[in-house]
Amino acid sequence: MNFFRWVTSKQLMAPAGASPDAGAGDQEVPDRKLIKACQSGDTRAFETLVTRHRGKVYAMVQNMIKNEADAWDLSQEVFLKVWKALPKFEARAKFSTWLYRITHNVVYDWLRKRKIDSAGELDDGILNQADIAAGSRTSPSVTARPDQALVNSELGDRINAALATLNAEHRETILLREVQGFDYKEIAKVMGCSLGTVMSRLYYARKKLQALLSDEKRKD
Amino acid sequence: MPVKNSKPYSVMKKEKTEELFVKWIDGLLTSEEEVQLAALVKDDPGIEAGLQEMKVFGETMKSEIPGSVEPPYGDFFNSKLMRKVDLQIQSQRPAKKAERWRQSMRWAWAPAGALALVLSFFAGHRLARPADPGVAQVEKRSDRMSELPTVYFTGESLEAKVISDSLGNVSAIVVNGLSAISDDIDFVTVNTSASLPESYESSEARRFH
Repeated sequence: MNFFRWVTSKQLMAPAGASPDAGAGDQEVPDRKLIKACQSGDTRAFETLVTRHRGKVYAMVQNMIKNEADAWDLSQEVFLKVWKALPKFEARAKFSTWLYRITHNVVYDWLRKRKIDSAGELDDGILNQADIAAGSRTSPSVTARPDQALVNSELGDRINAALATLNAEHRETILLREVQGFDYKEIAKVMGCSLGTVMSRLYYARKKLQALLSDEKRKD
Repeated sequence: MPVKNSKPYSVMKKEKTEELFVKWIDGLLTSEEEVQLAALVKDDPGIEAGLQEMKVFGETMKSEIPGSVEPPYGDFFNSKLMRKVDLQIQSQRPAKKAERWRQSMRWAWAPAGALALVLSFFAGHRLARPADPGVAQVEKRSDRMSELPTVYFTGESLEAKVISDSLGNVSAIVVNGLSAISDDIDFVTVNTSASLPESYESSEARRFH
C-alpha cells in the first residue's frame, strides 16, 4: 500500500460511527480532502463521505419516489455511481451539486423504467407502500414506528400528499429549492435545464401546491 | 422592423412575471425588479395575497419536510455499499493492471520501433543484393536452358541450331539446309513485287490509295 495514502487515511479517517465523537471528527475533514483520498482509491474515505451525505440523498430520493424500499436501493445505486465517477470529478465543481445531479439521473432512470414496466397498468404501488409485496427487494423495508408516526405532523402528511400530485420535474425543483436550499443556478445544473425553466417550474409547482393546500384548508 | 427570433411580447412578459414572483417569494428581488413587481401588484392587488400564501407554504414545507433522513439500517447501508464497491474494484483490477503494464512499457516503444526499422532495413538490403554466383547461377542456368526455344520447319531438310550463352540467353539461331543465295542478285534493283502474293499487293494498294 502507498505509504502516503496509508498515513493520510490514518490521519483523516476516523472509522465512521466507531465512537460518539467520530461524527464530529468527520465533519472537520472537508469534502474535498475526502474526495481526493477517494480518487486515490481510499475506500475508507469514501465510506466517510457516504455516511456524511447518505441522509440527504436518501431524503431526496424518498421524496421523489415515495417508496422507502426503492429509495434505499436507489440511494445505494447513487453512491455506487459516485464511486465509479469520482476519478473524473473535478475539484472546481461543487460536490453537492454533482451528487444531486447523479441522484437526479438515477431517479429519472428509475421513473422511466417504472413507466415502461407498468405501461397500461394502474400503478398505485408507487404511493402506497403497503401494496409492495414483502421480500420483493433485497433491501430492508421499514414502516414508521408508532412513536415516529406520532411525530409526523398532519400538515407534513398533507404537504407530502400534495407533493406527490406534482409531476417529477416540478416536485424535484421545489424540493431542491425549499428543502435542500439550492439556488436557481444549482437547480439548473442538477436538473440539466435552463434558468428560465427553473423559474417557470418553481412558479408552477408553488402555484399548484398553493391551490391544493388551500383547497384542503377550505375543506377543514 | 420585427426582430427575428424574438419571443412574442406576451410570452416574454409571462416569463418575466413568473421570475418576479419566484424571486419575491425567495426575497431575492433587486430594487429595479421590486419596482416592476409593484406596478403589477398595483394593477391586480390579489397578486400580493397569492404570493404571500405561496411564501407561507414554502416556509411550512421547509419546516415539515426534512432535508436529510438517515436511511434505515445505516450500518447495513454502508456495509452493503462497500461490498459493492469492493466488487467493483476487483472487477476493474485486471483491466487496470493491463493498463498499468502498457503504461510502464511505454518507454520501450521507441527503442523497439527503432530496432524494427533497422531489422527491416537489413532484411530489405539482403533481399536486394545479387545472388551468390556459386550456387544461384547454376540454378538460374539450368532453369534458363530448359526454356530455350524449339524451332520448327515445314521442310524436313532444314534444321536449326540455337546458340546461347552460359546463362541461357539466346544469341543466335543457325538454320542449316537452306539453298545458298546467289551472288548475282542485285539487292538494290531487285524487283520483289513479282514474288509477293497478289492479295498482299491489293491490300497495300488499298492502304495507300
